[in-house]
Amino acid sequence: MPLLEIRNLVVRYGEIEALRGVTCTVEQGQVVTLLGANGAGKSTTLRAISGLAKPTSGDILFDGKSIAGLGPEAIVRMGISHVPEGRRVFPGLTVKENIMLGASNRRASTSEISREADAMFDLFPDIRKFTNALGWTLSGGQLQMVAVARGLMAKPRLLLLDEPSLGLAPVIVQAVFKIISEIRRNTTVLLVEQNARMGLSVADYGYVLETGRIVLGGKPDELWGNEAIRAAYLGGHAKASA
Amino acid sequence: MDLVLQLLFTGIGIGAVYALVALGFVLIFRATNVVNFAQGEFSMVAAYLMVVAIEFGLPYWAAFLVALAGMALLGVIFNLGVYYPLRHRTYLPVIIATIGASILLANSVLAIYGPQPQVLEGWFETPGIQLGPIYLDSQYLLIIGVTICLVIFNFWFFEKTLLGKKLQATSQDKEMASLLGISVSTMIMITFIYSAVLGGLAGILVAPVLFVSIQMGSTIALKAFAATIIGGFGDVAGAIIGGLALGVIETFGAAYISVPYKDGFAFLVLIAFLIFRPQGIFGERVAEKA
Repeated sequence: MPLLEIRNLVVRYGEIEALRGVTCTVEQGQVVTLLGANGAGKSTTLRAISGLAKPTSGDILFDGKSIAGLGPEAIVRMGISHVPEGRRVFPGLTVKENIMLGASNRRASTSEISREADAMFDLFPDIRKFTNALGWTLSGGQLQMVAVARGLMAKPRLLLLDEPSLGLAPVIVQAVFKIISEIRRNTTVLLVEQNARMGLSVADYGYVLETGRIVLGGKPDELWGNEAIRAAYLGGHAKASA
Repeated sequence: MDLVLQLLFTGIGIGAVYALVALGFVLIFRATNVVNFAQGEFSMVAAYLMVVAIEFGLPYWAAFLVALAGMALLGVIFNLGVYYPLRHRTYLPVIIATIGASILLANSVLAIYGPQPQVLEGWFETPGIQLGPIYLDSQYLLIIGVTICLVIFNFWFFEKTLLGKKLQATSQDKEMASLLGISVSTMIMITFIYSAVLGGLAGILVAPVLFVSIQMGSTIALKAFAATIIGGFGDVAGAIIGGLALGVIETFGAAYISVPYKDGFAFLVLIAFLIFRPQGIFGERVAEKA
């Protein structure tokens, strides 16, 4: 049984149909990447999984149980942690406080959570020196690290990452993806990326979304191998390599 | 010099009341992005609850606890009846609902208790103590003491506890808070209860100084609202400093310039701030919050 199964998911924002029947699966232990252009429905898919967007029809099964229509608070308690687009680090709280609040989905004493947050800096050594800095003082790359660390504090079985590379310098993107390859050792990840090259480099499987529908799915090398696909969706160097 | 010290004491005493109500304004504003125009009525209702409890023969301290418990309950009802049904709407319907609730509360008390102002005794038998040249009124001492304790509690609660951090997170980004598993509706409920109790406390403390009347709520609320703007809207420290400053300014204004225009000074200062420093002393960005 797959860890996450999405069946024929439709999401409407008023008159606009953002998702028109998305079907895909994420197996336990995998990293799955959702690729696609702006407005293809990548973020909406993640928002529907985490409960921020209400599905109009279709179903979302987590561990075999339907979670479609549940609120975000209930879903994160079941073990799905969503690191949304734009990082959304609380600007008026410190880095440590932000990370600690990531554990709000489970029962643990404050001192336990504090210890776990300190341990998180082993995975993210670059932000250790900002432990007591307020969120708004950090740079984009640092905010991304805080956001991912906060997402991991939920001890999720499935981590949803929305565009972790957006707006970051290439060297920072490398650092973020290095962390994703660390995380995958014990967490299943559903990753949304516009940067297809990076997205597929860590993935076991990839899907391509176009205007609210999955148009293609396959292993990373299959997706790279398909030249028409590469030119149309992945923004690779189709002509140069042909 | 003696007069200055005496006025300073009185000004801080009355300013502390404004500060408590202003704190309630700011906490609800930060949690819901809406100004609660019924905040002043919380003070008025609490003062009446106190009068009723004492008429029932309860000792002062018991009446005090009953009134505060009543305010906590009012906070729950207010949240469920006024804010919760409109929480997904823009700020405007919510603001109008709080104005409606304020009118409802004032007229309910009027219907039950009639228009005559009531008298509430002070907590202490002793009217006050003479300290050198200054006379320290016991009720003002109580007001200042309670306010100091609450400011310390407030700081501890919001800065040192995880629950306080969750409340702050909720006021900064509700959607993100809910993604982390923080129960946003519980956080807002706590905010309403806390603000209602703060407002109520202010009303109970100031009642022996003023009369207990239907109008006392709106008078206090207008001053407290002015205090939040002077301090910097949305800022906790600003609300407290603004409240104290306003109390001192109006006391000095009454003593040195004109007693009948006492209430006018608060608004003169408010207008001056709106023209020359609209972001207030602590400079929160007001424009984006509408």
